Amino acid sequence: MTKQIPNIAGVIVLLFLAAFPLVYGAADYDYIMHIMITAFFYAILAASWSMLSGYAGQFSFGHMGFMAIGAYTTGLLCHYIYLSPEPTGLCTETPFFGQWLVVVNPIGVTSTTLTQDCLRQAMDAWGGRVEVTRMPVPLGILMGTIMGAIAGFLVGMLVLRLRAAYLALFTLGFSEILKATISAEIDITRGQAGLELPPLYPDGVTLFGTYFEPTDKLPPYYTMLALLLACLGILAWLAHSRFGLFVRALREDQDAAAALGVNTTRYKVLVFTITCAMAAAAGAVQGHYVQIITPNLLFLLQMSLVVAMAVIGGIENFVAAAIGAIILQVLLELLRNSFVIGGIEVDMTIWRLVFFGLLLMITLRFFRNGLIAPLIAYFGRVGVAEETVAKRASTLTGPGGGPHRTEAPD
Amino acid sequence: MIHLKVSNLHKQFGGLHVLKGVSFEVNGPELIGLIGPNGAGKTTMTNILDGAIKPSSGTVYLNDERIDQLPPFEVARAGLGRTFQVTRSFRRMTVLENLYVPALAMGHAHGKARLREKAMEVLEFLTIDHLRNEFAQALSGGQQKLLELGRLLMLNPDVIILDEPFAGVHPKLMEVIYAYIRRVNDEGKAIILISHQMDSIFSLSERLLVLNFGDLIADGPPEDVKNDPAVIEAYLGAEEEETA
Repeated sequence: MTKQIPNIAGVIVLLFLAAFPLVYGAADYDYIMHIMITAFFYAILAASWSMLSGYAGQFSFGHMGFMAIGAYTTGLLCHYIYLSPEPTGLCTETPFFGQWLVVVNPIGVTSTTLTQDCLRQAMDAWGGRVEVTRMPVPLGILMGTIMGAIAGFLVGMLVLRLRAAYLALFTLGFSEILKATISAEIDITRGQAGLELPPLYPDGVTLFGTYFEPTDKLPPYYTMLALLLACLGILAWLAHSRFGLFVRALREDQDAAAALGVNTTRYKVLVFTITCAMAAAAGAVQGHYVQIITPNLLFLLQMSLVVAMAVIGGIENFVAAAIGAIILQVLLELLRNSFVIGGIEVDMTIWRLVFFGLLLMITLRFFRNGLIAPLIAYFGRVGVAEETVAKRASTLTGPGGGPHRTEAPD
Repeated sequence: MIHLKVSNLHKQFGGLHVLKGVSFEVNGPELIGLIGPNGAGKTTMTNILDGAIKPSSGTVYLNDERIDQLPPFEVARAGLGRTFQVTRSFRRMTVLENLYVPALAMGHAHGKARLREKAMEVLEFLTIDHLRNEFAQALSGGQQKLLELGRLLMLNPDVIILDEPFAGVHPKLMEVIYAYIRRVNDEGKAIILISHQMDSIFSLSERLLVLNFGDLIADGPPEDVKNDPAVIEAYLGAEEEETA
């Protein structure tokens, strides 16, 4: 029964999160929903990073880069690709299943070029007679996820021989190059001005018999929560399969794992591909939710935040990392309220980061596997020590033994 | 029929010629001791045999399959397993999980229950079944040696290289390792045993190979090798002088 406590707690938390947007009705509803959606976004990043770094030992600093690849892929596709029933005669275009696939020309961000958008010029000429269709958002998110997976695969192949600090530096370099490229290619990405994305549900959506506007928070809340649960489900399935066993062996000793028949190259590349695809999916959904993306997504501080969330939750348990991310994101936002002690005002907009840093330092010093993962591990390993002693005693005195604990993976 | 054929193996690290044309064959379930002073090239040869490093020249065939250019996991699948001089257990994985890794990697598992049963059988033989759910890092050095041997039983290779299996092991656990070596050998597997413990090597081995600074200076029955002047000069004599 004690072993089931984490599972029972998980179900209760899940029910709470599912019911929360329906029962919460305070005036700050949109603000709280926004915090939760962002928390789910960080939870996906922290959980997938935990699988990559905590389980597989591939300490990557490029996770936000893959997230940005997902966001920019869908952003660029939705920004530049259209379907038109008629050719524009101005844009790059090709016949596509009875319509025209139109690629809009990049025009940059300066005011003098804003009217040089070939599609806009064509539409002006058509005078509203022709209706063009933007790339569907779900397809953009799917493409973003695939691009993240491909990038993860390629980086995974490149870092096969790199370990520890070299791997961290390589992935950090990858992320920085990506940021510099996005910032530099202003004509295409709009650089620091940011690339606008259509909302997650451009035409609104009907849920539970109620119509929700594109700007309403409830649909993105459930979308991000569903993505988080899907990612956690996939990670749980992987962790309990031979994949999970092999990547942990890879983390422990790559050479020993290979000497025991594990194709370490395959699993190293696989874990990069899968976790980077998850980061990219999260980035794509988040991009459509906030509707604007900038290279600032790739700031090292953002990556550090994800690492800190995973470390404080527990790097070797992706569920703990996700819980850590949600709790920290919520706390970081809610602790913005300043307060007064002895006539001195404590400006929490700044001090909350100090507290956060302090919590990270304390965790690293005293709780190497985070604050939440040991709790889950405690319940999971209840009785193991007693069983070892009992089994040893029965070996000495006669046959028999305690219950078996470690399940063989599928 | 097991057949390992090592032909004219050379390995150079920069200007250092670590192996100088080593050749030998293993035919059937032989129990072979490999000895030599520190720096003789024993570990380098082991690393070449298991695919961890590539030879500068020369070939290695296992059961007519060339393995010297294969990556380690393919060498393991071809039928050659090894332990390491310094124990390399998966420390933050349980004892049972350590055993599952090779079985699943080799595709030996036929259902969860059978896999578990096989692993428990191995642990009982090695007398560490009571530790099955403990993390490997909780085991003593000797128990971790046994765990490494257990992983090889799950891998089930044709040729096993044991690199210093007796180093730092309590005499009681050494008996278990002795029993292990004899059992595995009786099951029809070839064993190459690397050790500095001459008593163990001479009592267990049917044949001895002696490496000295990259040269294979002797290959024969232990009694012949023991009296070989070149071996006495290069290794056995030196050891006696050291102990004196």
